[in-house]
Parts: sequence; C-alpha cells; structure tokens
Amino acid sequence: MKVRRIFAGTLGVMALASVTVFGGTSSAHVAKVAGAKIASTCSASIAIEAPFSTGPAIPLGLEQLHFAELAVAQANKANGTNITLGQDNTGLVPATAVSAARSIIASSAVAMIGPAGSQEVEAVGPVIAKAGLAAISGSATLPALTTDGKNPTFFRVVPDDDVQGPRDAAYILAHGLAGAKGSTILIVDDEEAYSEGLVAVMTPLLKAGGYTVNHQSYNGADTGATLQSDLSSLASKVTSSTHIVVIPWQSAGNAQQFGKTLEQQGKKAILFGTDGTNAPGTFIIPGSYSSNFGPDISQTKTALDESIVKGVAKYGPYGPFGVPTWQATTVAMDAIASVCKSGATPTRANVLAAIKKTDIPASQSPEGVPIQFKADGDLKAQAGFLFKIEAGGKYVEIPDK
Amino acid sequence: MQIFIQTLVSGLVVGCLYALIALGYTMVYGVLKLLNFAHGDLYMVGAFVGYYVMRWFGGPSALVIPAPLLVVLMMLIAGLGVGALGMGIERFAYRPLRNAPRIAPLITALGISFILEDSVLLLFGGYPRDYSASDYLPFSGSIHIDGVNIWSVQIIVVAVSVVMMFGLRELVNRTLFGKSMRAVASDREAAEMLGINVNRTIALTFFIGSAMAGVAGVMSGLAFGQITNVIGFLAGLKAFTAAVVGGIGSIPGAMIGGLVIGLCESFSSSYISSQYSDLIVFALLIATMLLRPQGVFGRPPLQKV
Repeated sequence: MKVRRIFAGTLGVMALASVTVFGGTSSAHVAKVAGAKIASTCSASIAIEAPFSTGPAIPLGLEQLHFAELAVAQANKANGTNITLGQDNTGLVPATAVSAARSIIASSAVAMIGPAGSQEVEAVGPVIAKAGLAAISGSATLPALTTDGKNPTFFRVVPDDDVQGPRDAAYILAHGLAGAKGSTILIVDDEEAYSEGLVAVMTPLLKAGGYTVNHQSYNGADTGATLQSDLSSLASKVTSSTHIVVIPWQSAGNAQQFGKTLEQQGKKAILFGTDGTNAPGTFIIPGSYSSNFGPDISQTKTALDESIVKGVAKYGPYGPFGVPTWQATTVAMDAIASVCKSGATPTRANVLAAIKKTDIPASQSPEGVPIQFKADGDLKAQAGFLFKIEAGGKYVEIPDK
Repeated sequence: MQIFIQTLVSGLVVGCLYALIALGYTMVYGVLKLLNFAHGDLYMVGAFVGYYVMRWFGGPSALVIPAPLLVVLMMLIAGLGVGALGMGIERFAYRPLRNAPRIAPLITALGISFILEDSVLLLFGGYPRDYSASDYLPFSGSIHIDGVNIWSVQIIVVAVSVVMMFGLRELVNRTLFGKSMRAVASDREAAEMLGINVNRTIALTFFIGSAMAGVAGVMSGLAFGQITNVIGFLAGLKAFTAAVVGGIGSIPGAMIGGLVIGLCESFSSSYISSQYSDLIVFALLIATMLLRPQGVFGRPPLQKV
C-alpha cells in the first residue's frame, strides 16, 4: 500500500512537472511562432545604387550606403519587418548604373534607393519604369528628371536644382562674395548633366546681379596628369578681378585639387561648390562654401537625429548626403511595411502605390521638412542648406535668415 | 604673359612625367617589339607606393624625418619596388610568350593592366588618396617669376626627370649594359649568338623602365595631390602617344615626344579649351601615323631586297 502511494505520488509529481515544463514550453513556442509569423510575413528586398567603390564620388557613395544600411536596420526593428538591402556600385557612370538596374530588376527587389547622379537617373529611369520599379533618390537634383515624363517611377526626397541654384546665386549676390559689381565670376561645369543644369540656372541670375560671368568647362572624368592640366588651365583664368569661382561639380576630390592649384598659383578667389562637392574630410579648403539639401544633424538634439548620428559614428566624418539617403530608404521601408499591414504581399506595384502616398511629418524626418511627393515624384517641401568651410576643414552651417 | 608662363610650367611638369613613362614604353619595344600596355599602371602603382611610404614616416602632417629626405626615400622605394614588379611581370607574363604570335603578349599586357588596377582597388579601395605635399613642401617656398609662382615640387619634378633622362642616355650609350641593350634591340638572335645574356638584358631593361615609371608616379602624387587606381590608364595612353610621336624605339624620341605631348595638352587646355585637349593630343598621334609613321626621331624600317 505504502509503495503504491509513493509510486502514485511520484507519478503525480512527474505529471505536474511535465505539464509545467512542456506546457510552458508549448506556450512559449506558440508565442515564439506567433512572433516569428509577424516578423517573417513582411519579408522583402530592396537595393541601393550608389558610387561607393569606383568613380569620382566614392566618399558620397559610401556615405549613402552606410546611411541606407542604418535606415534598413532601424526600420526593420521599428516595423517588425524582415527587409534586406542589396547593393550595386555605379561609379556615377550611366552605363554602369543601367547594368546595375537590370540586375536589380532581375532580382526580387520591390524598390530601389538611388541612383545618386542625375545623369544616371536619365539613363536608368526609363528602364526601371518599364519594370514598374520605384526608385527614390536622395541626391539626383536635375529638374528635368521629374518634368520630362520619362521617369514616372522616380521619386526624390530632396529639392531640385531650381531651388539650389537660385538660392546659391542669391546668397553670392546678397553677401557680396563676388566683389564689386562689374567683377568677373568664373563658373565651371564638369560636362555632366547635373553640373550643366546648375550652371544654366545660376548664370543668368549672376549676370542679372551686375556681374560678368566667365563660363568654362572641363572633363570631370579626367584623372591624374590630364586632370591637373585641366585644373591648372582653369586656375590660370582666375584674374585679379575674379573674386569667386562657382564649381557645381560632382567630385569633392577635384574641388580640393582645384583649391590647392589656386593656392599654389597664388590666386585668392573664393570657391563656391554645390552639393556634389560637399564632403567633409575631402573638400576642406578654408574660406570655401558648399551648399547641400541635407542639414547637419550632428548639431541638433532630437532623439531621431541622435540615433542616426550614433548609428553612423563608426564610419568617421560624413557630409549631408547621408541624411536624404536615410530618408529615401525609410520611405521605401515604410511603404513596404504599410503594404504588409494591409494584409498584402509586397510587390513592385503595391509598393510603388504606397510610396506615392508617403506622408511623413516634419517632426519625424531628419530633413526637418514633411516628406510628401507631388504627382511627378518631386518633394513637395523645398529646403536648402549652406555650409562655410573653416580652418581645419570644419563645415559650419550658415543659418537660414 | 602670366598665363603663358603658368601654362609653360604646367606643360613642362606634365611633359616630364609623360616622357619618363614613354621611355619605359620605348625601351621595352626596342628589346622585345612589345607594346607594354601595363606600363601606365606601373606608374600608378609607384604613386601608391610613394603615398604609403609618406604615411609610414608620419606624413603628411607629423613627419618624423625631414621633407627632402622623405621625397628621396619615396622615389627610391617606389623605383626599386616597381622595378622589381616590372621584372616579375616580364618573367612570368611575357617571357613564356616570347616566341608566340605578337598578339598574345599584347593581350597579356592588357590583362596585366586590368589586374594591376583591380588589385590596387581591392587592396586600397577606390577612395582618392591625397599626397598633401603642400603640408611638408609648402607653397611659401615657391619662386616668383613675373607674377607666376613656381612651386618647389614643380622644380623637383623637372630636375629629377632631366637627370633621369640624361642618366638613361648615358647608360644606353656609354656602358656595357647599354651596348647589350642596343644589340638585343637590333637583333636578338645575333646578340645571343655573340654571348649576350638576352634574358638578363631584357629583365634589366624592364627593371629600369618600370623604375622610371614608379618614380614618375611618386612625382605625380607630389605635384598633383590626388591619386586613384585609374590614373595610370590615360597617362599610359598619352605616354604611348608620346613614344609614337617621338619614334617608338627611340630614346631621345620618347623624351621629346613626352614634352611635346605635355606642352600640347597644357597649351590647348589654356588657350583653346580643356574639352579639346585630349582630341588635339590624339589627333597628333593620328597625324604622325599618317605622315611620318616612324615618328620624328625614328628611322623608317629597312626593306630587304
């Protein structure tokens, strides 16, 4: 009798333990499975095109890549999604960008970040439009990209050159950077669509301000000794009546080399670059200016800005190219998440439709402006930022008055 | 007048660099009848070697040795290193093809060019490196002529190039090795029959040509600042043009050809437009091929009857 009671008691304890262990595990397992289902039902891939390993704008390309990677990680965590980021280098070369776009189209990517350069979008836009693939750029600013009708699936989270060019020209005129009226302003393009577009916008405004504009060109793709011949000849055209040289170039390295050439020749003109030259650590000629469409978020104290700054701190100095790319990536990530929330599987078509309806308030954007698109893919809000380069290569944002 | 002098200085600097690279082209063509299209990339490798030597000694802003010594070491190490690399390329890529049809080593040379470019890209990335020479060889040390600043680095480039070119001329004309080189260039088989070590002569020719390209790479970094893995391609093409214009196989021709091309590029950039400088340089190549295919200093090929 006693043995049976002990045996029954032992069995009872074992049964109780089993229920506790396996029952608990089951519910945890169920919970885990349930959780896994939430995360894994929203799986997709996107890809970034940027000049991060070849070409004249590697610092910009790497910056864009790092900020895009951060945006994917942060959005996946916030939205509970499982979206992966592929990457393709373009070197800022249109033909390479088209090859990269074709490989992205052949993959399962439902959206693309980039391309970086306007000349690349001109080449890639019609190709991705045929595939119904949305592309969101944080840096391609040529106005015609959204007005010529050839790139219906292209979006940008930055204002176009019709904003940057006039703002820069107005700043030069308002602050007397070009010297007395009648002086000469040298403006040089690098024979790319972006640069030529800005020159076309700025030249009449500077002339209307009472200045003589000397427009020169050089091949921005030149390297080594040939590049130096180009820059040396440009520098020799800077005379005593030239107080400023406007350089809307895509290469910060070339801008730096030009600045050094001017210094070597004893020329004192101010260099005024646009967003393509904006690269702390690369273009660091003191007294120069460089405009951009992205702010310096290291100086603001919002939680979002701080999280971004912390996330990219390990990569060293960066310019304002990263923030718009972060924003572009977040637009794509949020669009995919919204498709999933509606119960659908992300496809290129429904992600494109969701991107068109993007509505991010200014308080949730590190750009400080609401992110909404017009029907042509342009950003509704218009903002621009200007930086002066101080001694030691420090970029100081000039407040917008 | 200022623009003229500035353009002249710039053209001489660039021309000297093209001349140094062109000499390598012409020497190798002389002994092997091979157009070594990888030669421009040896110049690029030299630039990178010089850059990392500079960094090793604390440059650009915290040098641990005097700047003149640094420059000498950069040139010496780059010259020896790239010279050795050139010898290695000859030994393993070109020597096995010495009796193959001429197209084979030509294509191999193109392949070596891509290998060198992509190796540097993989090892060091595509990010431009800046010699920042003005940090240790400041602009304040410039000579001023009629309002034009001539930087000490520009003087160094021209002076070193002239010394190297004349040194090479003396080596070729007055030394036993020079005689061997000329003999091999004239008739390889006969030279071998006369007891000349053809393999060693060719290897040393490659060493000298590559070393000169390596030193030119260092000087380009000092003078121009930025270097990337793609600076060798266009420089190599221009140097090839210089060698052809001067007379492929002719050492004085390569020197003069390099200076002509450099000055042509510089003056057309300044007085016409930099958009047309490449057009003009390569038009000169075509004109030379049409009007005087053997080049200015070259000899027309003998016709045996």
